[in-house]
Amino acid sequence: MNEISYIIQVLVSGLGLGCIYGLIGIGYCVIYNASGIVNFAQGAFVMLGGMITQLLLWNHGVPLLLSGAIAVACVVAIAIVIERIVVRPLWDRNASTFVMILATLAVQIVLEGATLLIAGDQPKTLPVFTDLPPLRIGTVAISYQLIWIAAASAVIIFGLAAFFGHTRVGKAMRACAINREAAALQGIRVSTMLMMAFALSAALGAIAGILVTPTQVTAFNVGLPFAIAGFIAAIVGGFGRPFGAFLGGLALGVTQAGAVVVFGSGFKSGAALAVLLIFLFVRPQGILGTAK
Amino acid sequence: MRLHATILQLKAMTAQQSGSRRRLLAWLPGVIGVAIVLYTFIGGGYLVSVVSFGLIYALFVTGLNLFMGYTGQVSFGQNAFAAISGYMSAVLTTTYGWGVAPALACGIAATLVVALVVGYPALRLKGHYLAMATLAIGLIAYEVAVQWQSVTQGYMGISGIPPLGVFGYEITSDRGNLAFLALVAGLGVGAAALIRHSRLGRAMTAVAGSEDAARALGIDVARYKLLAFLIAAAYAGLAGSLFVHVVGFVSPEVYGLHMVNLAFTMLYVGGIGTIAGPLVGAIIIILLPETFRSFRDYQDMAYGAVLILLLIYAPRGLASLSDLWSGRARG
Repeated sequence: MNEISYIIQVLVSGLGLGCIYGLIGIGYCVIYNASGIVNFAQGAFVMLGGMITQLLLWNHGVPLLLSGAIAVACVVAIAIVIERIVVRPLWDRNASTFVMILATLAVQIVLEGATLLIAGDQPKTLPVFTDLPPLRIGTVAISYQLIWIAAASAVIIFGLAAFFGHTRVGKAMRACAINREAAALQGIRVSTMLMMAFALSAALGAIAGILVTPTQVTAFNVGLPFAIAGFIAAIVGGFGRPFGAFLGGLALGVTQAGAVVVFGSGFKSGAALAVLLIFLFVRPQGILGTAK
Repeated sequence: MRLHATILQLKAMTAQQSGSRRRLLAWLPGVIGVAIVLYTFIGGGYLVSVVSFGLIYALFVTGLNLFMGYTGQVSFGQNAFAAISGYMSAVLTTTYGWGVAPALACGIAATLVVALVVGYPALRLKGHYLAMATLAIGLIAYEVAVQWQSVTQGYMGISGIPPLGVFGYEITSDRGNLAFLALVAGLGVGAAALIRHSRLGRAMTAVAGSEDAARALGIDVARYKLLAFLIAAAYAGLAGSLFVHVVGFVSPEVYGLHMVNLAFTMLYVGGIGTIAGPLVGAIIIILLPETFRSFRDYQDMAYGAVLILLLIYAPRGLASLSDLWSGRARG
């Protein structure tokens, strides 16, 4: 009995982490749909979200909610700068996929290096948002942070659905995903859409980073594992499908939790990478099939 | 009419001149690279070991260049192959008391086997799928090096690895290492040049140009991609093993993402797709932090930034210098 409740416990926390992966995965899809670019610097947004919030909260005593909001704004600003000075020149030159990937990976490394210089190499964490003992359902404990993560993810998902379904900008972004040239002929500014996609994707990453930090530590180098996990989520869900990516994230979170139960915690990243390779080698189009 | 013909003739002559000048300029980076190695060898001092690392990296980058520059493929996971061979060398010589040469050969053989097993499914992928798959291979190698403590001793790493040598003769001096590595790197770059101009090299270039066109010419695209991948893995494995014997120590960090970042910066500085580029890029990039001491803490960041600038403004690295030159001559 104890064994079973332990397993359920681990799977529940897996779902929590899965929501985070899903949000990051959506970030990939948003940029990919607008431009065909796969942004390998996605993990840096997650890391920066957590780090900037932590910095404001501990070093300057800014309240948590405000710190979080400022952090998201900062990360969005950084993403727009990256889009302008790195991605745009390459995009204008029609650089190959590979050059774009290498450039965004280099951006990730530069941002990590800058964070290391500013904040040092010590791992940091955030306090939980609601400091209450976990809810108990039977023998399974559900922490308030997990509820925060799930609730915030749900709000974001519905918000995105409304954004893509009902707003002009959202519809324009979808048009770009379907056919960029046709969208341009309709008078949609494809390049503006690219900038907005970077901003949106960065906001998603930063929020994910802020939500997940209280459950674990953050440091300058946490970005890449999150980037990989988000990419796996996007692949499993079928690249370019935002909501597929979210489901993919949940699936990955649970799989990872399962692997930790069976093989021990050392296999957490190994399990994620194994899922990635299996999907790439066997079914690169994901479970639902790619968007295009 | 006559005037027109004369003008054409003149044009042809200038083209020929700028062609030979370009050929000269193409050789220049290589000459500078060799000069730096010679200078350090004669001058001695701590730069000897720095340039030695540069030469090891030159081998690694030469392999990367074969796969990416010549064949037009993507791999962010070459560090995995360096790690496999490096750890194999380290474990066989320290735990099992093997000689350096058989351990090194075994390391490269293991690298090739893994590259074959991984490369076969991975190379069917394209674009960002291939990029992510290879990146994952590199990260898995890192994870294994960290987690498989009974063999790799995790973050602690393995120390006391014997220096390079064969039949009881060991290279103990830094100068000896430099001379040996210069020889190996020279052979490595020479082999790459031979491959470049062989049937294999032409097939690789054809694949890089257009896979469909190559296929139409009767080239077995999948086979040549895999072959290029295996050759690149062998270069990486050789570099990985040489590294552990020269340094005498290995830990997971040696083959981390830092190595990938460094290798790509070297490749782009030297000029991707050129023969001497990897050698020149490796030596220049390895010497930079020595020139600017305060640079050290910013290393990864600086390399990343240099890489971004090169990708945007000079995608062919030093090799585009000769374009600049001939452009000026023409203008």
